[in-house]
Amino acid sequence: MSELLVRNAYVIDPLSGIKGDVMDIAIRDGKIVEEVGRNAEVIDADHCLTLPGGVDSHSHVCGTKVNFGRYMSPEDMRAGRTARKGVMHVTSGYSVPTTFGNSYRYSIMGYTTILEGAMAPLEARHTHEEFTATPHQDMLANTLFDGNWSIMEAVREKDVKRAAAVVAWTLSAVKGFAIKLTNPGGTEAWGWGEDVHSILDQVPHFGVTPAEIIETMIRANELLNLPHSVHIHCNALGVPGNYRTTLDTLDLVPDLNDKRQTLYLTHLQFHSYGGSTWKDISSKSEDIARAVNNKPQVAIDMGQIMFGRTTTMTADGPMEFKLYMLHHNKWSNHDVELETGSGIIPVYYSRKSLVNCVMWAIGLELALLTKDPWQCMLSTDNPNGAPFVKYPEIIALLMSRRFRENELALLDPRTAHYVPLPAIDRELDWYDIAVMTRAGQAKALGITGVGKGHLAPGAEADIAIYPLKPDSLDPSTEYQQVMAGFGKTRYTIKRGRVVARDGEVVVEGANSTIWTKAITPPEFDLSVDPEFVKKFEQYYTVRMSNYPVQDVYLPRGVCIATEASL
Amino acid sequence: MRVILRTKPRKKPFIPIEAEAIIPQNFLRKNDITVYEGNKERKLDEIFYITTEGPAVSPDQVEIVLSGETGRIKRVGEYMNAGRIVIEGDIGMHCGNFMSAGEIIIKGNADAWLGREMRGGIIRCEGNASHYCAAGYRGEKRGMRGGIVQVMGNAGDFTAEYLSGGEVTIHGDCGDLPGVEMRGGTLIIGGNCRRPCGNMTGGICMIFGKADAMLPTFRNTGSEEKEYGGHHHRMTMYRGDIANRGKGTLLVKIN
Ligand SMILES: [Zn+2]
Repeated sequence: MSELLVRNAYVIDPLSGIKGDVMDIAIRDGKIVEEVGRNAEVIDADHCLTLPGGVDSHSHVCGTKVNFGRYMSPEDMRAGRTARKGVMHVTSGYSVPTTFGNSYRYSIMGYTTILEGAMAPLEARHTHEEFTATPHQDMLANTLFDGNWSIMEAVREKDVKRAAAVVAWTLSAVKGFAIKLTNPGGTEAWGWGEDVHSILDQVPHFGVTPAEIIETMIRANELLNLPHSVHIHCNALGVPGNYRTTLDTLDLVPDLNDKRQTLYLTHLQFHSYGGSTWKDISSKSEDIARAVNNKPQVAIDMGQIMFGRTTTMTADGPMEFKLYMLHHNKWSNHDVELETGSGIIPVYYSRKSLVNCVMWAIGLELALLTKDPWQCMLSTDNPNGAPFVKYPEIIALLMSRRFRENELALLDPRTAHYVPLPAIDRELDWYDIAVMTRAGQAKALGITGVGKGHLAPGAEADIAIYPLKPDSLDPSTEYQQVMAGFGKTRYTIKRGRVVARDGEVVVEGANSTIWTKAITPPEFDLSVDPEFVKKFEQYYTVRMSNYPVQDVYLPRGVCIATEASL
Repeated sequence: MRVILRTKPRKKPFIPIEAEAIIPQNFLRKNDITVYEGNKERKLDEIFYITTEGPAVSPDQVEIVLSGETGRIKRVGEYMNAGRIVIEGDIGMHCGNFMSAGEIIIKGNADAWLGREMRGGIIRCEGNASHYCAAGYRGEKRGMRGGIVQVMGNAGDFTAEYLSGGEVTIHGDCGDLPGVEMRGGTLIIGGNCRRPCGNMTGGICMIFGKADAMLPTFRNTGSEEKEYGGHHHRMTMYRGDIANRGKGTLLVKIN
């Protein structure tokens, strides 16, 4: 039995309704408890801001495309080297660091849980191997279904239950967590050198539309009673005028779940563009935020961009090709048979580029104009908008109007003409930030039940104590301290153990991987379904028996089992 | 000043040594030079017997002589900007990475990535060079940008990949795909090779042996006379790689 007592903590725990009380937190054997004995180890938090461990609900840190980003960019690997120190391995890389680099840097910022934004089912083993080497965070994998042939056939047949059965089999086979749709139908169209440009365009050969895919998958997801909702990267990412596609997508969403949203729309900054060309691109954040405010059944994340160098990577193959045609720099394109694809290119977001300035403003606007912080998560779509190490700077921008004004002054002067940001006064408070960086994510992902994102007795003892004193610090003016404070915890506690202290990781980690298994009635068991089995015999280069990820790839797997309502 | 570094016998001689610190400018002031043997940091005198002769006031007056079992010593001469390094035997991977000036002489063979992304200076290898000689690292858009690399023996695959400037001469044979992705500079191959210059967009490559499996995306534009090894040779001249609208020149000796 190990016991730990965190004393004098200034706690904000939104899921428990605690909005800034000084209190003690008792921990026994990795869980929060009501009280501990006198011999417990004591940490004095000294009235510092104490939050549940950070949860990132959309980040690209593991898997084949991240790895491709690593090896196509030797300059990036040289950019962020750190030497071996104590228990810390050597790390390298800035926008696509080594797995330990990701894990340490997140841990130092107080993050203890990460959802990998996109895992191709066929390549799941690699993702899980890298999860194991990201030892300080519990990991979850969004699983790509955007171009899945069996899904599109079920959509064509209007057979929601069959789509649900495909999802159930696949998630459990690849130990995935949730349904991800990246440019639904678009990456499959890209296999024919095409793309879909609206939610009503048809996918070649399959004759289904993105709207049909999205609606079917939303219903299939609810039939399976999965913890998370469908997680979508909308069509037409990065295209001027794409806000209409985003609004159309928002209009598709029914309200089917009373515990969480029915659709999670990721990196919405990239989907909120007005104008018709790169020359007249403008912010449509107001239209998008209005739609989000009117629809409690959706949640979004920002997809903030920050100026500097980074790497873009997504399953949206055709979008990356468009980016390549703009930059003519390095480009990688990848097809995953019968399932999806991907593309990767390095980018540089510049204050001298009006387009980049508009993008920067849109992300912040979405967060500031969304009234309910539970509906808008803080993210950069790491590393697409910026590496996650920029989160503290984003927090400071959201908390300080003055900081935003100072930054705006450095941008292309035309920016103000295309964006509403200069007119927005709102400054988020500590509670908003606590929601947008952990509690909101845990709720949106549906993992509060496995003890994530809150500090109530029974929860996992994942805690971040920041060197910030909300009682005496004014984030509006002292934004530099806010930035520094969120950059480096005094203590990061993971499952009851101090894992990082003052910017240094102090123990070897041992994370879990959380995956879902929807239990279906026998008539929906696709492993004996002739049509489904034929896919493997005729098309896949992998045998069906070799496809599932073996348990050995998840040394500490945590399965969330659900009973499907089929 | 002449610094002689003779390797000491090692318990585990197969563990590579990372020796980017071995460059003339570091020996001017006698600060503590260290190298890594595997994941262990070592003082230079744990790995070498060190003898120093004569004075030096600038790095160009420094000559480093490496002798003994040097075939697993990597990154010697990385970012070198003056002076001279003489290697009596073989040298490990990445010798002369990013070097900008000075001279490296290798009397034995060089392992892979010799003169990778070199900017200036001279590397002369009297034996053979392995793969990726004078190339860019994987994912790098530009390889060697200036300077001279001369290999008296053979070189491996991907010689001078992404070559952007300077001159590379391989007097023996090359392996597969020499000059692939070339965008500038000159590549001279005295012997034979396979599939030269795919995706070339600029620069000149001359092959005085046979070029096997020539790519079909080069346009024959006549012939020209070139001198190599004291003789004049009649060469077929190609332009390409036309698959990516390249404007490179590929000359292959008419046999
Ligand atoms: Zn993403």
